[in-house]
Amino acid sequence: MDFQAIHDRLRAIEAPGLQAADEPREPNKEKKDPGRSGNPFVTVDPARIVEFLTVCRDDSKLDFRILIDLTATDPKADGEELSVLFELLSIRKKHRLSIKASIPKSDASIQSATAVYRAAQWHERECGEMYGITFVGHPDPRNILLPDDWVGYPLRKDYEFPTEYNGISCE
Amino acid sequence: MTIEQQKGALTLGSEGRVLPSGEREFMMDVSTSDLEVNMGPQHPATHGVMRILLRTDGELVTGAQPHLGYLHRCAEKIGENVEWLQYLPYTDRYDYLAAMNNNLGYSLAVEALMPGLEIPRRATLIRTICAEINRIASHLIAFGTYGLDIGAFTPFFYAFREREWIQALFEKICGARLTYSYIRIGGVFNDAPPGWLQEVGHFCDVFEQKWQEYYDLLVVNHVFVKRTADIGVIPEEMALDFGLTGPMLRGSGVDFDLRRDMPYMVYKEISDAGALKVPIGRGEMGTLGDCWDRLFVRVQEMKESLAVIRWCLDSIEPGPVLGDVPKVIKVPPGEAYVGIENPRGELGHYVSSDGGKVATRCRVRGPSFTNLAVLEDMMPGTLLADSVAIIGSTDIVVGETDR
Repeated sequence: MDFQAIHDRLRAIEAPGLQAADEPREPNKEKKDPGRSGNPFVTVDPARIVEFLTVCRDDSKLDFRILIDLTATDPKADGEELSVLFELLSIRKKHRLSIKASIPKSDASIQSATAVYRAAQWHERECGEMYGITFVGHPDPRNILLPDDWVGYPLRKDYEFPTEYNGISCE
Repeated sequence: MTIEQQKGALTLGSEGRVLPSGEREFMMDVSTSDLEVNMGPQHPATHGVMRILLRTDGELVTGAQPHLGYLHRCAEKIGENVEWLQYLPYTDRYDYLAAMNNNLGYSLAVEALMPGLEIPRRATLIRTICAEINRIASHLIAFGTYGLDIGAFTPFFYAFREREWIQALFEKICGARLTYSYIRIGGVFNDAPPGWLQEVGHFCDVFEQKWQEYYDLLVVNHVFVKRTADIGVIPEEMALDFGLTGPMLRGSGVDFDLRRDMPYMVYKEISDAGALKVPIGRGEMGTLGDCWDRLFVRVQEMKESLAVIRWCLDSIEPGPVLGDVPKVIKVPPGEAYVGIENPRGELGHYVSSDGGKVATRCRVRGPSFTNLAVLEDMMPGTLLADSVAIIGSTDIVVGETDR
C-alpha cells in the first residue's frame, strides 16, 4: 500500500490517537512556504501511542510486524517539544510507515513500546540517554552507549559540552 | 527448551541428554553454582571492543548481557555539526567492513530530500557494482572469521586472499582500501579508471570457482556442521519481534530482501531480469534459524551478488558520473527515512533539514545494533562452548553497534 492507502485504512479502523498526516509539498513563494521534501508521516497522540502501535501490528491489512527504528529529534534549541519517531515495516505487504509523537521538553515521558515490539528495548535505552526521555514501563532503562555517570543529554540541541570527565580535561 | 528443562536434561546422569541426531550425551552429576564470566571487552570472538556478561551454571549459560559503548564516537551528534558532504567520511566508520554501502545509504537519504537532483545512470550502475563487491568482501570476513571463531584456521586465509583483491579494486577506483567516501551525494566521486570494469568481470569469473572451494571447505564440512547446526536457533516469530534484518532474518526462513521487495536504484530492473535471487535458510542441517543457516545465507549471497555485478557490467555505458551538485550543498527543508540492504541488514538513515548547510538530525539505524539485541534472549539455555559460535553467527561490527 502507498501512504495514502495506509492513512485511509488507519482512518477506517479508527486507529486510536491518530492526529494528522504530513505529506511533502512543493515550495510556494506567494505564501512564503518553503515546502517540505522527503517522506510522508503520521502524527499520533503520545498518550495513546502503545494502542496505536498495537493496532498497526495486529491489523491484517496493515501488518506492521517489524519496528525498524525508534528515535527522537529535538527540532529547535529554544523549542518546547521533542518528537519521538517510529519507523514500521511490513515484510508481507512491503510497505513502511513513519510515525511522529510530540512530547513537551518539560515532561519528556512516553509509554514504552517494548510490550508491542521487543525491538524497542535497546532503541528506547539509546533514545532515553541521548534525549532524556523517560519510557514508562521499560523493563531495563539503563544507559546503553554512554557511561552510567554521564551528565546531560547529548543529542538535545541545548546540550553543553562538558569540560572534564572524571578529572580528565577535554578542552 | 527452558533453562529448567535444559538443566534437567543435562543432569540426568545415566540416561543422558538426547541430541537432535538421536545420539545420547552423558554428563557426570556434579554440583554447580552461578558464576559470572566477563567475555570481553578484549575477546577475539567479540570482533571488536564489546563486553558480554555471561551468567553460567556449570557449562550452561543462564544469562547474557551485552555491554556496548566502548567504541561510541557520537556519529549522530557530529552529523548535526558538520556540513552534508563533510559527514560522508564518518559514514565509512560505522560499518567499516562495508563502507561503500554506508556511503550509499547516506547519499540516498540526502538525495531523497533533494527532489530536483538527477543521478546519472552510469553513476547508479557503478554504485551498484561497488556496493555488491563490498557485500562480497564483507561476507568474506563473516565467513572467514566465523570459521576462525570455531577453530577452522584455513578458510580465514582463503577469504582474506580474495578480499585483498577486492580492496585492490577499490584502491584503483578511489584510492582507499577501507574507508572509501567514494559514493557521494549526487553520484560517485570519479569515473572508473580504464580497464577497471573488465577487471571486475575477471574477478567475478575467478571468484565463482573459488566460491565452490569455500563451500566445500567450510560450509558443508562435517565438523563445522556439528558445531553450528541446531544451536542459537531464532524462530521466525522472535526474529520479527526483535526487528532483525538481513541474513539474520533470512536465516530464520523469512523471504525478505529490500533490494528485491522494496527496490531502490536499479534493483527493480535487476530483479525483473531475474539476476537477483534471494537465498533463505531452510534448516537443511538442523533446525530452521540455527547458526548454520545464517552462515549458509551469507555464503549463498556472495554467489548471488556476482549475478548482479555481471548484469551491471553488461548494461553499463559511458556517461557522466556526478549529478549537478554545488560545492556547498544546501538541502531543502524536509525529513526522510531511507533504508537500504547492507550486508548485515537494513541500514537506515533518518535525515532532516531546515534548508541550511547542516542537518538538523542525522540518525543512523545500524543493523548490527538491533541484530545484537536478540542475544539476551538467544543465549540462555545454551552451552558455554557454543556461545562463541552463537555470537559469531550474529556477524556484528562493533563500530556500527556503537556508532
